Amino acid sequence: MAELLQLPFMQRALIAGLVLGLLLAYLGIFVTLRRMAFFSDGVAHAALAGAAIGILTRFNPLVSALIFSMLLACLIYWLEKKSSLSSDAIIGILFTSGMALGIVLISLRKGYQPELIGYLFGNILAIRRQDLALIVILAFLIVAFIIRNKRKLTLLALDREMAYMAGINPDFYQLLLYVMLACALVLGIRILGIILVSAILIVPVSTARLFSRSFKALTLWTGVIAEGVMIGGLLLSYYLNLPSGAVIVLVGSTVFMLAFAASILCRTQH
Amino acid sequence: MPPILEVKNLSVRFAGNTALDHVSFTIEKDAIIAVIGPNGSGKTTLLKAILGLVPYHGEIRLFASTVRQVLPQLGYVPQRFAFDTTFPLTVEEFINLTCRNPEKLPVGGVLEETGMKDFKGKMIGELSGGQLQRVLLAHAMLHRPRILFLDEATSGIDVEGLSDFYSTIHRLNREHGVTVMMVSHEISMVYKFSDRIICLNRDLISHGETKTALTGEVLKKLYGDNADLRIHGHG
Repeated sequence: MAELLQLPFMQRALIAGLVLGLLLAYLGIFVTLRRMAFFSDGVAHAALAGAAIGILTRFNPLVSALIFSMLLACLIYWLEKKSSLSSDAIIGILFTSGMALGIVLISLRKGYQPELIGYLFGNILAIRRQDLALIVILAFLIVAFIIRNKRKLTLLALDREMAYMAGINPDFYQLLLYVMLACALVLGIRILGIILVSAILIVPVSTARLFSRSFKALTLWTGVIAEGVMIGGLLLSYYLNLPSGAVIVLVGSTVFMLAFAASILCRTQH
Repeated sequence: MPPILEVKNLSVRFAGNTALDHVSFTIEKDAIIAVIGPNGSGKTTLLKAILGLVPYHGEIRLFASTVRQVLPQLGYVPQRFAFDTTFPLTVEEFINLTCRNPEKLPVGGVLEETGMKDFKGKMIGELSGGQLQRVLLAHAMLHRPRILFLDEATSGIDVEGLSDFYSTIHRLNREHGVTVMMVSHEISMVYKFSDRIICLNRDLISHGETKTALTGEVLKKLYGDNADLRIHGHG
């Protein structure tokens, strides 16, 4: 184990996993409270186009995916405000269009695309030093913002009218939440991939909800579960020589199933 | 005494449909004002327009200012809670969400005034409809508002809880001098507890002192020919 932790790629993987686990799990609290799971899934899938632009133009794909997804989040917000279409319809159209654009762009480049596979399914063990720096800086900024504005974001997630009555600008904070979420999802794609990244957003908070009896407990347990799942999944994937993203998600869903079974058992005994 | 709320020529339209049509009235300090009318008559829209929650035409002045300028002086209890009540959030945590410095605000005081002091550690999802409305009332009272807006705040409360809820509102008005504007369907409670009444059916049908403005004829205009007013000697 000590030898494993001395490997530079494993050190980078663990730091990225712990930072992103915490970031995505905390954003997950607001995502589940506001029922924004489809938004998260949609933005993550559409990020393929952003990554494809980076791969094609030989620009950093993580940065191009970040810019693309944040612009997409702003577009979703604007269309929600300006059109009579439902949020789900807007996200559904943009999500599939982004994914389709990504596929078309990638097909312009001949041969096997290992980087693309990395974006689709994640590869935490291939995180480069500059990726890690970007992940840590952006995650720090977002978490700092969430901690500073936790009360406002929670009230907005609970009830838009109440947030307004408390003197909070609902439009401004909603847009910020969308942009932060898009940013966090793209960073998470490096670990879990486009297809699986939503799991770490939803699973820890959903597991914590099963036994938390206050918001404080929920926040604490969400963080603990996310970090446990990240470390457990990463180590397990290394020892079993299996894809890290998929193993992390499977560890998370196993923890959820066990907690769910325990909660049912507790309820029947009372 | 100058009015604390002035509404002039207020009209609200949603997608071409008129929700409110040139409504004008004023409200004086310290009163309990009830807003009544059939479903779709614009009661909730009226409250939301006053609070700046929906776009409108016309003029609304609160304490001779715009709503944005006096927002901290207003309290609002919505018709229903929009969020998933199974979310783990205690009553105390919910109340504290509204304040930057909870320790400086009378959290315990408002919970006691609304009869919810013993429930502060309970999860929101474990409360009955009536208890939840009391928590929302405590939440609205936290900043000691000068006007309290209640939008059918008694929906979901049983008959027994109804009288208790209105008594609490009455006490808050009389003891703390809070002006109350409430949308309600309970005509008997409105007759008993309100000082003034606004009768709406998209436009203003009648308004004034409850005991004089609320007549059988007005009720017929609002709810049809089967509606009538029978007074049973309320105190």
